[in-house]
Amino acid sequence: MIVKVEGPEKFGNESYVELFNSILLDIGITRHVEAVKFIIKPSDPFFLISVKTRKAAGKIRITEIAEISQGKDGTHINIIDENYAPSLISLLWQLYGRDRIEQLSRLEILCKGIDEKEILEIAIDRGEELRKKVLDALWRLLPEGFKVRYDLSSESVITILATEYEMKEEWKRLAEEVHAEMEVLDVQGASL
Amino acid sequence: MYKVLLFDGGVYRVNELYELVEDVGGFIIQKTQTHVQILVTLAIPEEERDVIEKKSQELGAKLTEIPLGGTEIAVVAPTLGRHHMPHPVCDIAEHLRRYGAITVVMGLARGKGRKSAQISAEEKALINEYDAAVFVLGNFEDCIRKEKVRLFEDIEIPVVVACGPAIDTLPNCSAVVSGVCRRVERMRRAEDIAKLEEIAEKVCKVVEERRRVIDEDPLFVHPAEVRQRIEDLPAVQKSLRPAPVVLHLDGLRVKIPYHEWKDQLASIDVYGRKLKEIAELSDSRLDGSTLIKIYSASRVESMNQLESKELLRDQASAYAKE
Repeated sequence: MIVKVEGPEKFGNESYVELFNSILLDIGITRHVEAVKFIIKPSDPFFLISVKTRKAAGKIRITEIAEISQGKDGTHINIIDENYAPSLISLLWQLYGRDRIEQLSRLEILCKGIDEKEILEIAIDRGEELRKKVLDALWRLLPEGFKVRYDLSSESVITILATEYEMKEEWKRLAEEVHAEMEVLDVQGASL
Repeated sequence: MYKVLLFDGGVYRVNELYELVEDVGGFIIQKTQTHVQILVTLAIPEEERDVIEKKSQELGAKLTEIPLGGTEIAVVAPTLGRHHMPHPVCDIAEHLRRYGAITVVMGLARGKGRKSAQISAEEKALINEYDAAVFVLGNFEDCIRKEKVRLFEDIEIPVVVACGPAIDTLPNCSAVVSGVCRRVERMRRAEDIAKLEEIAEKVCKVVEERRRVIDEDPLFVHPAEVRQRIEDLPAVQKSLRPAPVVLHLDGLRVKIPYHEWKDQLASIDVYGRKLKEIAELSDSRLDGSTLIKIYSASRVESMNQLESKELLRDQASAYAKE
């Protein structure tokens, strides 16, 4: 992972890099982050972070993570890979509503009155999953009092600029520049 | 000056220790008995330590000094959110407990941010009820020096600041420990433990200093003596709160409601005087607690003189009328 920090205070810069690494490790996405750039200006004050992630390997079909069987009252899903359980159940809730989806036990889901064929069509987007995790890491990292935010997002880069009171146009331009720089970054032979 | 010590030994002949402590002018602060083992927290005059040590050796017990025994310390974080609160703050509080202090973790209502960080008068008054406060701040020197110093501007008790950047001194605080910053895991590495030790050492130093200041004009009675009398109150005995009576350097916190119990507390007998004559009783900002601040011996003495003068004046005026 390429890490670049700009800011007037050495200790603060280093401690934020260490904190970010610990958070990534905690969430388990260290390998998925290719590059990160921080610009920390406590005197202005603003905090900018831009994260470039690896491309996630497409969609995963429901049959790869669960066993599906048709019952009298609907379709039964028996989850095999628990890592995907939260995202699967939230996707089912989103598609069919909470009334029709019942979680029978930790790994068993009953889809009331829904045909097996319909369920077999479902696929989970790995990219979306990763994106959620990266966002979670960023929320944990950003200074708590910096509530005014400006964010930019593309397929592989997320940039967040946070400040305390007024968001200045020049900071926004800076965030856009950093975002564009990260998008075209060639991680293999690049330095930020 | 009193030293607070922890006696760790057996119950056999422990009464001899109690008698000796009483003879040298000390007090028993707390006894915790588990089967035949007993932990006794005691306060004795500094110069009598050798005698107690000798007795402990005779009884086959271990005697250790707990420099923060009989104190209540507030560990203050900018907020109770996960950005500020969990790891360093709890670890510091826990580590200070090992030195005998009772610690309270506190998060400010609006302490987050840089310029927007603030502390209310109510919060300051609450912090002032403790013996010392540890403020755990952030990673940036600019932010701490320019803005966060306002948080402990009018705090009357000694303040120790733990923060990330290397800062030697800050206004309105007694000591600064640097190298303690935001993190997502517990402070359990060797260098973290060394930091915790450093914080405890600084806190011990400021508490010791405060003890010396109090000792220059000593209290009328040691808070532990008042505690022994207060513990007999039925409300205290029935209280389910942890540590219903907490010792402070210059008084006590009794965790029973002030408005219900002020009269009973005020009339407790302490060496022939009522508690209200030798201490100030007030409602604590901590819900359902009463704060007792013991007057110094000289203040009680001057109050007595004043009372006797008034009495004499009254008698003289009554005589003149006759």
